[in-house]
Amino acid sequence: MSRFFINSKSIAVAASVLTVGLFGAGLAGAQPAQPAKKNTRTEIVFWGVSLGSDSKGQDAVIREFERRNPDLSVRVLSMGAGKMDPQKLMTSIVGNVAPDVINQDRFTISDWASRGAFRSLNDLVERDKNDPEAPKKEQYYDSCWEEAMYDGNLYAVPTGADNRILYWNRARFKEKAAELEKAGLDPNRPPRTWSEILAYSKVLTEFDKSGRLVKAGFMPNFGNSWLYMYGFMNNASFLSEDGRKCTMATPEAAEALQFMVDGYKIVGGYEKAKSFESGFRGGENDAFIVGQVAMKIDGDWILNTMSRYAPALDFGVAPPPVPDDRFYKRGRFTNEKDTFVTWVGGSSLAIPRGARYPEAAWRFIKFATSTEGRMVESRAQNEWEKLKGRAFMARQMASKEFNELQAKEFRPAAKNFADAIDMHVEMANYGRIRPVTFVGQVMWQEHVRAMEAACYGKNSPMGALKEAQSNVQRELDAYFEKERYPVIDLRLPAVLGVLALVGVVILMIVSFYRAKLGRLERGEAKWAYLFISPWILGFLIFTIGPMVASLFFSFTQYDVLNEARFVGFKNYAEMFGSDKTRLLKALSNAAYLAGVGVPLGLSTGLAVAMLLNMAARGMRFYRTVFYMPAIVPGIASAVLWSWVLTPDPGKGLINSYWVKSISAWMGLEVPGWLTSADWAKPALIVMGVWGAGSGMILWLAGLKGVSTTLYEAAGIDGATPGRQFWSITFPQLSPIIFFNTVMGFIGSMQEFDRIYVMKPNGDGPIGPDDSMLTPVYHLFNNGFAYFKMGYASALAWLIFTIILVITAVQFQLRSRWVYYESDK
Amino acid sequence: MNSGLFFALGTLAVWAGSVFAFQAIVALFRIVFSTESRDLRSNGRTVLVSSLAGAALLVVGGVGTRSEAGAFRFPLVWFVMPWTAWLGFACLAMAIARLIQTLTAINAEEQRSKSVSLGAFLIAAFVFAVLYFSDKSNKIEILKGGILLHAPVVAGIILALIATTAAMVYAARFAAGRGLAKMLVSQITLMVGCVVFGLPFAFLVITSFKEDRDMSSKEGIVWIPKVQDTIPFKDPKNPKFEAIYEGKKVVAGIISKKGDTALLDIQKPLAIRGITFEAKISDLKEVPTDAQIFSSNLKGTPVKGFVVENLDDGRKTLQIMEPQSLKGEQHTFMPAEVEPVRHVGLRVQNYSEALDFLPPETNGGLVYLKNTLILVILNVIGTLSSSAIVAYAFSRMQFPGRDNLFRVLLATMMLPGAVTLLPQFLIFRTLGWIDSLYPLWVPAFFGSAFNIFLLQQFFKQIPMELEDAAKIDGCNYVRTFWSIMIPQIKPALAVIAIWTFMGSWNNFMGPLIYVNSPENMPLSYALQLFQGDRYGEPGLLMAFATLTILPVLALFFFAQKYFIEGLTLSGLGGR
Repeated sequence: MSRFFINSKSIAVAASVLTVGLFGAGLAGAQPAQPAKKNTRTEIVFWGVSLGSDSKGQDAVIREFERRNPDLSVRVLSMGAGKMDPQKLMTSIVGNVAPDVINQDRFTISDWASRGAFRSLNDLVERDKNDPEAPKKEQYYDSCWEEAMYDGNLYAVPTGADNRILYWNRARFKEKAAELEKAGLDPNRPPRTWSEILAYSKVLTEFDKSGRLVKAGFMPNFGNSWLYMYGFMNNASFLSEDGRKCTMATPEAAEALQFMVDGYKIVGGYEKAKSFESGFRGGENDAFIVGQVAMKIDGDWILNTMSRYAPALDFGVAPPPVPDDRFYKRGRFTNEKDTFVTWVGGSSLAIPRGARYPEAAWRFIKFATSTEGRMVESRAQNEWEKLKGRAFMARQMASKEFNELQAKEFRPAAKNFADAIDMHVEMANYGRIRPVTFVGQVMWQEHVRAMEAACYGKNSPMGALKEAQSNVQRELDAYFEKERYPVIDLRLPAVLGVLALVGVVILMIVSFYRAKLGRLERGEAKWAYLFISPWILGFLIFTIGPMVASLFFSFTQYDVLNEARFVGFKNYAEMFGSDKTRLLKALSNAAYLAGVGVPLGLSTGLAVAMLLNMAARGMRFYRTVFYMPAIVPGIASAVLWSWVLTPDPGKGLINSYWVKSISAWMGLEVPGWLTSADWAKPALIVMGVWGAGSGMILWLAGLKGVSTTLYEAAGIDGATPGRQFWSITFPQLSPIIFFNTVMGFIGSMQEFDRIYVMKPNGDGPIGPDDSMLTPVYHLFNNGFAYFKMGYASALAWLIFTIILVITAVQFQLRSRWVYYESDK
Repeated sequence: MNSGLFFALGTLAVWAGSVFAFQAIVALFRIVFSTESRDLRSNGRTVLVSSLAGAALLVVGGVGTRSEAGAFRFPLVWFVMPWTAWLGFACLAMAIARLIQTLTAINAEEQRSKSVSLGAFLIAAFVFAVLYFSDKSNKIEILKGGILLHAPVVAGIILALIATTAAMVYAARFAAGRGLAKMLVSQITLMVGCVVFGLPFAFLVITSFKEDRDMSSKEGIVWIPKVQDTIPFKDPKNPKFEAIYEGKKVVAGIISKKGDTALLDIQKPLAIRGITFEAKISDLKEVPTDAQIFSSNLKGTPVKGFVVENLDDGRKTLQIMEPQSLKGEQHTFMPAEVEPVRHVGLRVQNYSEALDFLPPETNGGLVYLKNTLILVILNVIGTLSSSAIVAYAFSRMQFPGRDNLFRVLLATMMLPGAVTLLPQFLIFRTLGWIDSLYPLWVPAFFGSAFNIFLLQQFFKQIPMELEDAAKIDGCNYVRTFWSIMIPQIKPALAVIAIWTFMGSWNNFMGPLIYVNSPENMPLSYALQLFQGDRYGEPGLLMAFATLTILPVLALFFFAQKYFIEGLTLSGLGGR
């Protein structure tokens, strides 16, 4: 150990840098972030929206509200909570640091409400029924109001009401007129039925010679439709009337999913379509706006983008195409009233439980959702757009009264835009909503999973839906059956636990005084106990206590906000029952990451070590370069790699060279990396190998430890370098290999950070088709996104057991093939 | 399938032929530069055999892989098959190797062991074959490919190869030459390795200095950043003003005026852009903005001018700067008609803009840095002090139950964090610590099993005499620990300090679970949120990422040795 010594200078420098930095930061932080006058006002914290020049209207509403209510101010947090990040909101509610107003997607309201996470607004609506500002049921579209209700109570006030219609590119239809006519299709009107839209798509889709998608006719889920919309059209129910049975796996839904699969087949498959889409990204480069996709089903938000970036685009609108039988009123649809239906969604404002100023929050919600407040918003946005020389595209709103008013007042001059707005207003009357149920979010995620599995061809539509259905049913059952399980008071086990602890401590003290110790020994022991007390305390509070608690929770159903119920082995049964597929997927992902990643990482490390073992100048520099990836903070390197792995060859580092080499030589298309189910794990492994250069340090130490006499002897015996490697180097290094293999698997079971950062956006599956789900990620989702403490604890114990077993097995096996110097 | 197989075999032949040809050339040069006759004969034989074999293989391979006339194609082949097939073939190859070893074994024992392993591989291959054929959809596809080479390129490569070989063979005659050649080879390999490992890092840094237009390019990655020339410009139509909003300086444009007050629209800082506020006109100070310079063509005359106005349909109005005759005139151009005037340079604004986008209450990210530093410092102090004192007691002091307690401590090293994650959350919730930094550093003060174990190993190595001498001198335990023992284990402490530093700097799941408001966020979590918000702007994102990496890099350069020692210790922990 004489090699070590503290280089006091470098430490001093590092310490002073840190201190100065801290001091500077502290000074900067000490400046008042807000002027003193604000402190006298009550501050309403509003989550889930961001302010910017595109939300001038929203800004105006807030300013106007503050002007009218001098005692209140509104603090909008653009960061900190996404609309769709349930984990963040739930932790803040559970942790008693909830915001006052939250902007939430309406279909999740019943979910939150069922858990008691939101405050019911019934009393407030009732109290203020004579207040002209207060929201009233009659003002709203029934579907929108209904979506914000749960169990007969109102939990949120609807705001937007986006519905989806078909946008079609007239110019593209004209361009292909001859071919469309040849196929028996009218180029002057949009398709009305499913079979029509597929027929149009077939003509309007173009591939180049090498089979790459150049122009797409129609991609079923490009824009915003998902399976829900096609399901609604086909009268799929998704949930039984009484809300107790998930009916996702019906022939109607399977038919709708089959339509999506067929639609993707026309454009060359889901994978191809996805990478085609990602080449454009949203906004001004949207594939429909730049004319690369002929038809798109989307919400009214795209009008704003189009009026800004493609005001001259020759497009038309139509109701989204429906199943043929529905259109011709045949079969099941003979007595159907509505020919066309669409899906309506949107946001709403709610007050979380535990909000500090619910009364102030309600005042704000009332104003922001009133016709007057809405008018302030639209006017301000309109003024702003006018100032910029653009047409204002009024967004669809949940208040019917206001929606029709604003459609009249802010009518775009361009006919096709005005038509589009009229179409949206018209279709709002035929909007269907996602099932109002407390499992709304789970259903959404499961429906996305089923859709992906079927579109990727990993499962049949019916098979995928069945799996999704059983996963949703599990949640439903857990809720409806919970009455069967006895409530347990958590204070009891807590008190018992504390008593047990006290008992142990008393026992220890007693045995200490009973022990025959001399005066000196006793003194030493007292000091020693004092010295180890931090660890003892930490062990009791942060290790053994939580462990016991976790074991206890694994037999309960507990979501922190409601009382716990004792459910016996139900959680464990679920792990091996309805959740088996997903859990197996998570475990096999971990096994894949370790099985392929660890050997690759180890051999890379070894290769680098062999390189660095060469005698060459500038070794210090080289070592630094190889080591650097290992010290780049994990999140930063995940952020970096999500760009390095971008599928678009014009942007992604790897694919830009892939097209030049492998594509050019072998004709293999660029991989979709993180956006593709097959390539997501290889992508993670490639990234891991980059960081594995640091493993060389280990190997270097190991290599230096191998006695040269062994090689000399082998050389004399005539062993080739290869033979020397396998017979000397490898066995000598086997402890390192062994240790890393064990750690590698345990590590990949617990992968979380980089996957959280790198998984493609959106909720639902972790990575395409759950290809990036790891056991600990599964636990995190269960534990912190839904606060299913019981099930998550059971998962934790499963993970613990697996790790224990693997370690034990590995340590048993190691004597078979691992060489230890001391054994001989 | 058959043509594919032929192609695969042909490819193999071409590759083998090339190797033989290369061998022939090497041997030829040996003859040319060599003086010894013994070498001459054996080398001559090599030349003859290799060139014949090479030529034959190249011809066969050339025929087998011929796909189209024209340029020369160096064939490549790839098999697209399921993993069962891959493993099956691998086992088969191993079996064949073992078969050969069995046949050529020098004694019965070796023969027996090799044939056992031969059997094992055959069985494995059979199992994989069964697995492969059990799924009807499995199929093996042979991908034909090749590197398209034009005649001059081929000639160039061959000439270069021959020249290098000649030089190497020639150099090998002298000791000095051999040394030089070896050095060159190792330097080149190291360089190549460096490029591979350094490339993503270079990509990070260079991207953080690129303009948006360089983020995507048909030719591949843009490695040399360029920036557009700008000129300070006070727009008379749409002037920008410096004003005070909530006590902070902002840059804003006027929306409307009423009496002596104006309604303003914030444009900088970017985090609060779009917010409207009122201010007295007398308080405003006009500031110039940077107008971008473009070149274009006006009725045949090349012109250069700066942007006066960006119209919404993408057209730009330029005020001409060159040529002199047109100076000051304003013309409107279509987007396709203008070309930005750029020079090689770094777009440092990415950094200031990235910080500008952060929420105003974080003071341009300083609050994040402060939080991270608080966490790092408290964690390091906590871990070091608690682990050292506990390890000291376990290794140098006698007390009842010591060995049992230590066994318990060792056992907890195996415990995954996942088991205690949820109950710990509930504990911190009870304490009201959600949305604070406490859950992220307080546990550090209770020691960590692995560090205690490691330090215990170090303490054990310190000779007993030192402690005894201290005792005789009247030191109490605290004094002994602090003045005698601590200096002895400084290196280990440094290593642990660095681990803890890295661990708490990188901690992500903790802040993700416990922290909500920007005031309490550390850098790692802030970076992830930033990515969510600014995904479409890689320049800013990479700039922010680089900023979060810099302090760690700085520490690495100061304390490189401890980083590397630390890794060795951690990796050999299982030994």
